[in-house]
Amino acid sequence: MITQVLINGVIAASTWVLVALGFSLIYYTSRFFHFAHGAVFMAGAYFTLIFNMFLGIWLLPSMLLSIASSALLGCLMYLFIYHPLERRRASPLILMLSSLGIFIVVENIISLVFGNEIKIIRSGLVEEGFPLWGARITSVHILIVCVSVFLVVATGVLLRTTKVGKAMRAVANNRELAKVCGVESYRVILWSFIVGSALAGLAGVLMALDVHMSPAMGLNAIMMGVVVTIIGGIGSVPGVALAALLLGMAQHLGVWMIGSQWQDAIAFVILLVFLVFKPEGFMGKKIRKAVV
Amino acid sequence: MEYLLHILILIGIYVILSVSLNLIAGYAGLLSIAHAAFYGVGAYVAALMALNLHSPFLVNVVCAVIFSGLLGALVGIPSLRIRDDYFVIATFAFQVIIFSVLNNWVSLTGGPMGLPGIPQPTFFGLKISSHVGFLLTIGFFCAVTLLITRRIVQSPFGRVLKAIREDEVFTQAAGKNIATYKVLVFVIGAGMAAVAGVMYAYYISFIDPTSFTVMESIFIISIVIIGGAGSLWGPVAGAVVLVLLPEILRFLGLPSSVAANVRQILYGGLLVAFMMWRPRGFLGKYAFQSGEASE
Repeated sequence: MITQVLINGVIAASTWVLVALGFSLIYYTSRFFHFAHGAVFMAGAYFTLIFNMFLGIWLLPSMLLSIASSALLGCLMYLFIYHPLERRRASPLILMLSSLGIFIVVENIISLVFGNEIKIIRSGLVEEGFPLWGARITSVHILIVCVSVFLVVATGVLLRTTKVGKAMRAVANNRELAKVCGVESYRVILWSFIVGSALAGLAGVLMALDVHMSPAMGLNAIMMGVVVTIIGGIGSVPGVALAALLLGMAQHLGVWMIGSQWQDAIAFVILLVFLVFKPEGFMGKKIRKAVV
Repeated sequence: MEYLLHILILIGIYVILSVSLNLIAGYAGLLSIAHAAFYGVGAYVAALMALNLHSPFLVNVVCAVIFSGLLGALVGIPSLRIRDDYFVIATFAFQVIIFSVLNNWVSLTGGPMGLPGIPQPTFFGLKISSHVGFLLTIGFFCAVTLLITRRIVQSPFGRVLKAIREDEVFTQAAGKNIATYKVLVFVIGAGMAAVAGVMYAYYISFIDPTSFTVMESIFIISIVIIGGAGSLWGPVAGAVVLVLLPEILRFLGLPSSVAANVRQILYGGLLVAFMMWRPRGFLGKYAFQSGEASE
């Protein structure tokens, strides 16, 4: 039983880490909370539904198309809303409020078009899963865990080695200084929106494959994304991975011991403890300098 | 006529909610998305007392205000350590936790089934049962809220709040204990929101957690921002516009399932549009620009 609980924790963590990684990457360079990230996640799932069920494209290509479309969606949000706002010198609070607005609009467009009920892509019967240390795990779960481990490592490496990754870290560190050195923050933030949204789209696709999709999934995903990002520490890939594991474990142990309805409360109590006592998370750098 | 009164009552409830949130967010600059939690706690405290203890209306109002105010202090405390967007996340966390408690503590709150059959209130010996009666009571509480708010913002206390909003470090340097001010403004704002909750509970006579979600909090903050943060009448204008606007949809003959979504799209779109072109809202004096960004 306990192994099943732990495995469920790892599976949950694998999905949240993808959402949080994108969210964290976007916050890292642009310095505001992009709540509409949850909408991009949700769009990823529904794009798969459109491509696979309505247009009849095979599952794998339609998954790839969905990820690309999600990346495009994130990109458009930046180009048409956030970037014009940034040019007006909007504060992070204003950007955050507008992201809430975008989130509400996208969520309701989806619910208007597809309805509020649950939609499933899974074809055929529910898989029973392979036995593993006295627990059971399905092939989709193995796929989720492998993909997210791979992407966490890849993101960590790419941030350190590629030109774009280095530029992201430069912009995150000091936007003015980066500009002086010829790194245009506009392009770099756009890149982080593309990569981050693709990750969210992927998480949405995987979620759709594993369970189902509904217009409520976006809010839930962004809530977990926020918790993981802050606990892990902004801009730290291992921190985010560790935080996702911690949250996944805490939630599933909680489910096992006190019942599934308290999942959100557990996550947010942990978040509050971190916000008050260690707002930079356990791997992040100090974030708040005294504002003079 | 009933319909018109119903709309006016709703406007009244949202006026109380948005004016009280404006005190926190508009004057003290502490953007909070936990207001629906205070609103909900007020409603639940009054409903539980009316149902289980059969206590009189005014006692319930006072208890709801006190309870919600204490909770407000709890939410205000993180603001001493974190600021701006991080503080918003903290209030968001409170909102989710409170909603979770309302939704899951089934033995007390009835969980998702809610609390039905809240009795009609008696106010100064008069039983309030008609729409007109409720409208007058809510109008009375609106007036009280506005008067208290005006009194607060014109007082030295209000000036310190605005100073905290503009420059926290400077206010502290000027010898003001900003911690007390921040917590106190949360207590006051939360207490006022509780009154709106009590009125809602008595008026609808049935409450369930879905009226007090994160989305409701975002709606209240949208009213404040679109109406205009940091001005006394801004949130009033915002409440009137944002409650009336979706009613127009009703006359367009949209089916109710579609209308609910279109309503939300309208709010979301308006929020984005205002952030783009008029971050101060209709009548606002404050646009959530920190000193750094507005240079």
